[in-house]
Amino acid sequence: MVKYIATRVTYSIILLIGVLFIVFMLLHLTGDPVSLMVSRQASPDEIAQLREQLGFNRPLVIQFADFVKGAVQGDFGDSFRYRQPAMELVLQRVPATIQLASVALFMAIVMGVTMGILGGSNPNSFLDAAARGLGLLGQTIPTFWLGLILILVFALNLGWFPTYGRETFTFLGLKLPDKSIVLPAFALSLFTTGQLVRFTRSAVMEVRNEDYVRTAHSKGLPRLRIYLKYILRNAAIPLISIIGVQFSYLLSGSIYIETIFSWPGLGNLLAEAVGTRDFFLVQATAFFTSLVVIGLHLLTDLIYVLVDPRIRYE
Amino acid sequence: MKQSFIRRAAVVAVLLVVAGALAFASGGQEQQGAQKESVLRVALAAGPNTIEPATGDTRQASNVAWSIFDSLVWLNDEGKIVPALAESWTVSDDGTVYTFKLRKDVTFHNGYPFTADDVVFTWQRGKGEKITYREDFNVVKDVQKVDDYTVKVILDKPNSMMLLQMNEHWGILSKKYYDEVGESGYLQNPVGTGPFKFVQWNKGDRIELEANTDYWQKGYPKVDKLIYRPIPESSTRVAALKAGDIDIISRLGPEQADSIKAASNVKLVTYPKDRVYYITFNNMSSGKGTPIENVKVRQALSYAVDTQAIIDNIFNGKAEQVAGMVVPGNLGYDPSIKPYPYDPQKAKQLLAEAGYADGFEIGMAGPSDTYINFEDVLQAVAGYFKDIGVTVDLQFMESGKFWNLEANRELPPLFGDSWSSSTGEAFPRLVGSVGGKDASYAAWYDPRLVDLVEQIRLTPDQNERAKVYTKILKYMHDNPPFIYLYQPLAFEATRANVKNYNPRVSEQYYLKGVSVE
Repeated sequence: MVKYIATRVTYSIILLIGVLFIVFMLLHLTGDPVSLMVSRQASPDEIAQLREQLGFNRPLVIQFADFVKGAVQGDFGDSFRYRQPAMELVLQRVPATIQLASVALFMAIVMGVTMGILGGSNPNSFLDAAARGLGLLGQTIPTFWLGLILILVFALNLGWFPTYGRETFTFLGLKLPDKSIVLPAFALSLFTTGQLVRFTRSAVMEVRNEDYVRTAHSKGLPRLRIYLKYILRNAAIPLISIIGVQFSYLLSGSIYIETIFSWPGLGNLLAEAVGTRDFFLVQATAFFTSLVVIGLHLLTDLIYVLVDPRIRYE
Repeated sequence: MKQSFIRRAAVVAVLLVVAGALAFASGGQEQQGAQKESVLRVALAAGPNTIEPATGDTRQASNVAWSIFDSLVWLNDEGKIVPALAESWTVSDDGTVYTFKLRKDVTFHNGYPFTADDVVFTWQRGKGEKITYREDFNVVKDVQKVDDYTVKVILDKPNSMMLLQMNEHWGILSKKYYDEVGESGYLQNPVGTGPFKFVQWNKGDRIELEANTDYWQKGYPKVDKLIYRPIPESSTRVAALKAGDIDIISRLGPEQADSIKAASNVKLVTYPKDRVYYITFNNMSSGKGTPIENVKVRQALSYAVDTQAIIDNIFNGKAEQVAGMVVPGNLGYDPSIKPYPYDPQKAKQLLAEAGYADGFEIGMAGPSDTYINFEDVLQAVAGYFKDIGVTVDLQFMESGKFWNLEANRELPPLFGDSWSSSTGEAFPRLVGSVGGKDASYAAWYDPRLVDLVEQIRLTPDQNERAKVYTKILKYMHDNPPFIYLYQPLAFEATRANVKNYNPRVSEQYYLKGVSVE
């Protein structure tokens, strides 16, 4: 087990560096941000001087090595635009994104798992058709469009929610979002809902035909008990991995959703940083999100062991 | 064990529901409380990097900054420089020494008095390497304190732009406060003498300011609270305005302007922006030795483009054709100088006279992701060129790369771009584009133009300067370094109850006189 974890962690670190390398190279393929940092009346000398000052005239590999060296020590450089440590800016945005991702995941699980169970246990019924419809819709509907429609209908016309932004209140010392989170979380949750419906539905359909379920039925056990203890518990294993993967996807912050709803999270920050070529800020955001994604995948694998006693890593 | 887990999960679920209910309730209360004081809520298209005039990198950032800071002088709505923190000033006969008398009744938001030391300090700090607009401080050779309320600003040579540059970027900082908190402390918690005091800034979320009740200009500001909210998506800005969640929005597209016009309780604000879109001829690098060096060819290409058709078809008519780099609203604009009319026959004739009756091939480039519909515009232009026999090899590139190549003078003989000005005069775009070989983004070199632009710098008298601008406009029309295309319209909107919102052609606005009724 320890050996397994050690290997996985090593792989994760290599993967992380790989992701950073790709992000770094892609950024530098587009040139450097110096031209955006000087006014248009600047002289060529001034531009060259600034480029040297910021180290953008050095070979890329050396710049990357420097970046990794700093990152290991927790120094991700200063954002050019904000004149502040990049990681500090990233961490400021984390609570908003975690809240959005958690509420979205909660909504997705409630809608997705419920519809999946209902559909899966009544194959070819109306409910099943609805579940399949929701699954398909959730995964195909463009979030950008959906976000705008939600704003127009529920915020502008019905006036139930604010049109944009994050309003908070303080509860037990925590700044929590109010109803302003509902629309963006719903828009964000739909893709995950679609996945969960489909996976729950097929898992339930598979398990309910197992011999032990038939045995349980013939023993005369109550239906609810069979569902909770025999079907759901066994159908849950693939679901956990889906939920883990989906949560990491939600946590990396949705650029579209956060931009449309002007939700002050990571996706919003990343969109802005890319748009203004704030290299260190993009790299810090990329580092943070890949760390979260890779970390959650690792965690998911470990949770398997706890849920399914048959799985052992030696 | 398992049951206790379920029970715990149930407790957590109940707590979540309660928290959610509380959230809804408290959300409602907050809104009710807010209605008692007058609050002005302004949308920003992007979050500012700083809210201090010398470092804020976009127009939107400096608009926020000027709610908090003041300069020595102010450019009023009529385009005249008027006193602000300086009561009055005199200029020496040779135009190189300005003596400013400062107001004595001014304090910073934290109570520190405003004195000559703060002006000297603001200049010293403004010249610093890390200051975005240090050039606007470097135009001045020295700033000297004469007494607590008098400063001398000394120049190398007369510079007609100096007061405008001061108005643009010299937001006066408190030396004493800066000494206490340092550069980054100051930028995080800015303190100025302006109409609004800084309260808090949650990046990506909001900037909150409150009225400076001791503001030196009595009767201002007109609202108790000023809140800026970044809303990057323009459709969301429109929805927020219509729903009454925001009071002022800007940076809208033409279609959105139409939808605002149709809505009730909101007002559309439209004006031509001080930005010129053009295609430049590049005689400083790749265009050397190509047909574009011949003035007849440049005139021919100007006649060849039907700019009005481009405006009508690509912008739905929502842009204005321009005749040069000096546009309506700029000092020295002369309406008698008209844009080149669309005349393909004349174009062909001029090409023939220049010795290119069969046309020629030439390269052209443009940025792909930064200006609205600009790729379509350049493609249309290439089509018009083809009609007179000029084949264009048109390439688009990501804007960052494009500007790097532009600064390195590695772009093709023709390229499209745009240039704005925020001072009410065309000087910045002239000095940048035709001001000589020292300007990074210049592509055209004409010694006569370099002289004329320098003459503007050396002419402090506004009326005299206007004449030079007109001369330049005429000269650049007859000997075009550019194909002048259009200036876009700005579309902004406010709630119907917002009064006195008057943005300027530079997309600059001051909110101290704006009220919500």
